[in-house]
Amino acid sequence: MTRFGKKRIGGLALAVATLTALAACSSSSSSSSTTTTPGVTTQPGSIGGIPAAGTPSGTAGSITFGFAPNDSPNWILPITNAADNSVYNTFDFGWQLWRPLYYTFDGSTPTVDQTLSVADPPVWSNGDKTVSITLKPWKWSNGQTLSSKDLEFTFDETKAAVKASPANWADYTPGYFPDTIASMSTPSASTLVVNLTKSVNPTFLEEDIINNGIMPAAWAKDSANGPTLDFTNPANAAKIFSFLNAQSKSLSTYATNPLWQDVYGPYKLSSYNATTGAFTMVPNPSYSGPHVTPMSDFVGVPFTSDAAQFNAIKAGSIDISVVPPEDAPEISTLKALGYNYFGLPSYGDYFVTYNFSDKTGDFNNIVAQLYFRQAMQHLEDQAGQIKAYLNGDGSPGYTAIAVYPQTSFLPASAATNPYPFSVSDAISILKANGWNVVPNGTDTCAKPGTGAGECGAGIPAGTKLAFNDIYNTVSPYTQEDEDLASDAKQAGIEITLSGSNFNYIIQNYNDAASPANDSKWALEDFGGYSFSTYPTAFGVFNTGGSGQLGDYSSPQADALINASVSSPNPSAVTNELSYYETNLPVLWQPVRDHIYAWKTNISSSDPSALENLTQYAATPEFWYLTK
Amino acid sequence: MTAYLLRRLGTSIIVLIGISIFIFLLLHAIFPSPARVELGLRANQAQVNAWNLQHGFDRPVIEQYLSYINGLLHGNLGYSYADNQTVAALFAERLARSIYLSGISLLFAILIALPLGIFQAVKRNSLGDNVATSAAFILYSMPSFFLGIILIQVFAISFPIFSFEASQSTSIWVVMGDWNAMFLPILTLTLLTVANFSRYMRSSSIDVLAQDYIKVARAKGLPERLVLMRHMVRNASLPMITLIGLFLPALLAGNLIVETLFNYQGLGLLFYNSLSKEDYPVLLAYTLIGAVFVVLGNLVADIALTVADPRIRLA
Repeated sequence: MTRFGKKRIGGLALAVATLTALAACSSSSSSSSTTTTPGVTTQPGSIGGIPAAGTPSGTAGSITFGFAPNDSPNWILPITNAADNSVYNTFDFGWQLWRPLYYTFDGSTPTVDQTLSVADPPVWSNGDKTVSITLKPWKWSNGQTLSSKDLEFTFDETKAAVKASPANWADYTPGYFPDTIASMSTPSASTLVVNLTKSVNPTFLEEDIINNGIMPAAWAKDSANGPTLDFTNPANAAKIFSFLNAQSKSLSTYATNPLWQDVYGPYKLSSYNATTGAFTMVPNPSYSGPHVTPMSDFVGVPFTSDAAQFNAIKAGSIDISVVPPEDAPEISTLKALGYNYFGLPSYGDYFVTYNFSDKTGDFNNIVAQLYFRQAMQHLEDQAGQIKAYLNGDGSPGYTAIAVYPQTSFLPASAATNPYPFSVSDAISILKANGWNVVPNGTDTCAKPGTGAGECGAGIPAGTKLAFNDIYNTVSPYTQEDEDLASDAKQAGIEITLSGSNFNYIIQNYNDAASPANDSKWALEDFGGYSFSTYPTAFGVFNTGGSGQLGDYSSPQADALINASVSSPNPSAVTNELSYYETNLPVLWQPVRDHIYAWKTNISSSDPSALENLTQYAATPEFWYLTK
Repeated sequence: MTAYLLRRLGTSIIVLIGISIFIFLLLHAIFPSPARVELGLRANQAQVNAWNLQHGFDRPVIEQYLSYINGLLHGNLGYSYADNQTVAALFAERLARSIYLSGISLLFAILIALPLGIFQAVKRNSLGDNVATSAAFILYSMPSFFLGIILIQVFAISFPIFSFEASQSTSIWVVMGDWNAMFLPILTLTLLTVANFSRYMRSSSIDVLAQDYIKVARAKGLPERLVLMRHMVRNASLPMITLIGLFLPALLAGNLIVETLFNYQGLGLLFYNSLSKEDYPVLLAYTLIGAVFVVLGNLVADIALTVADPRIRLA
């Protein structure tokens, strides 16, 4: 599965299970988990289920967690650079050591979980230009309490990082945080007040930008044995960042470097294999957040291939693991192998990108017509593709986030297909707009012009509906695009398919990166994006957005995106999503389930702690061995 | 001999320079900068520009190449921006593992294939020859991935005798001592290589058995055992020396399929992953070192041939 964009970990609302006996009970979670079968937790759109919490064995052990190929962690500093930014480095590794300010995702529900967040809900004032962040009295592993100075240090180092290089912090966009920090003050040991130069949407900043872990102010040194420096001095901050960044590049010292032992998360790193990325974490006795007692060790196990990973499941040698997509058809055998499983799509989308700059055959003028994009969406058989190519394990998607997992951000209208699969509807739309439709042939423009019932601006008579589509040659894109081309052919739209690999596509069929190739592709299917809990398509569908490949540009989309990131309107992002549903900047496709399996002798004090695996999160402090 | 070696050395240096230029230009022609792959699609232009500046991809290709060669001459293979380690460290961590897996498999294959090929030649068209030939054809035509999956399913999952994955230890000594874990990957590679080598050895032996000096030896009443040992084996083994020499680069290349299937971090897998991440420093170093192994393998084979066959003289 090829998806881009930083996935942020979901939050959990898990009650503290401080006693082993309590671990067997479901916590008083605010999780939105639903139970349809007695004792088994499921979610709308999910597959499998999470059985009721088992009876704790009362002993701590080691719980092994399988990382998919190429996903094992290789970065430790809480300020993650763009090149090393991944859900695995951040959610599954770093956040075990340093939990984020605001822990996003509650189980599989995209929302902040205050229970697991290090800070209390932020207080906004001054027209959303001032935010007051108060830290909870959690403890560092040396016994000291987290302080506002630690948070100020973290933000100052973030500023130093992006000043040294914009690539040093993955979440950085010039002109946004931390550029917008006007001043900071620490009115108390636990509260940091940040004054911004311009208003920001509070949810956007909390959930999408400042959810890194906090670094201790004790790290304010430019060498291992150097003196503590005044990090508020930008020159010192730069030297400190340079030192910390270099330490994070020394993978072989991860488990031995004293820096990385200063933690406040549920675990401490005890071993790390620089060759494979395998690691062992042991419980942090000073951890102040909720957890089961006793906590087991958390052991990260990397795999070199999907086959090796599924063999480990079949051999029963891994406790918790993602099920490789290619092995999804075998999930019915997991029960017999001693595993439970649960699957939901991760939060985000799959789509085929249109190239609005492709002048070949006047495609740029054709795709600019909304009716054409509507006809194309009618030719996308999402239900059929889920059944045929995703083993039934997927969710339809009609805007920038799929129907599942459910979220309050999704417009009500986007829960059902506004353009249901129908070749006849597509034909009707094309005929109504001046096209001579030749099923299984090639449609041509019969009525050029810009009036009603005519093809549209810049589309001469005789223009053919024939163009190319370059797809990523991995499952299910190949099959889905072949299906699309086959259905389109029935409506007289001739799509010439050609396969390529992901890297080649994003570098060469990318209008911003390769303008010389603007007219060499009409459609492309590289995969899709994952989103944080705040699903704005900022950077993806705004004019000139770094993440869009096909030069889509809509003043209305720009305005809506700007509102999502800058206005206080809590409905802004829903309005934005609603626009994509009707304006169709891309051709929406179904999203595949992300399936996890865990041994039947593993349980969690709350189903959320297993649900959140589908969102790439891991909260092993809630897992325990059963009798 | 010395003059020959010096000439070969000079030729090899030219070949290596040519390979380095070719690979460097090829990589940069396909992907002028791997920034997008490294940073992700949503990285903004400022981040892409900064990354290119940091890694030198903003400079002309010729300048990048000369900088790379300068580093090589100073013993610096580069820094992997995908794995956050020096290329030298990445190789050092994996080289012994790959050499062990490939080397032990090669050794077993030689020890099995050579006698087997001779046996088949001597017992040509017998039941034993036909069985061995059939087995060789089946194995030869079978992808290593498929054979590995079958062996894992049968011997690790259905009948859990051996481990389904290779040793995960970081110590090569532990890896070498963990026969339960290493049995199936070694067996997979050995079987495939035996199928290859035994066919060559059989053909070569049949050729030698048809030679006049074999007939003369038999006519002189030499016992069959001595005919085979003294007159056939050595001569029949000459093509095998060349073949085995060509296999030496595999010690570096590792065995991608077996490494991926058996969860074994080796050099083959490193190359594959680097390819998918466009990790240029690793790809360049790997290709160059691979070329060195090819050159060395051929040289070793040539020298070994002169030892095995006094009629051959290096000049």
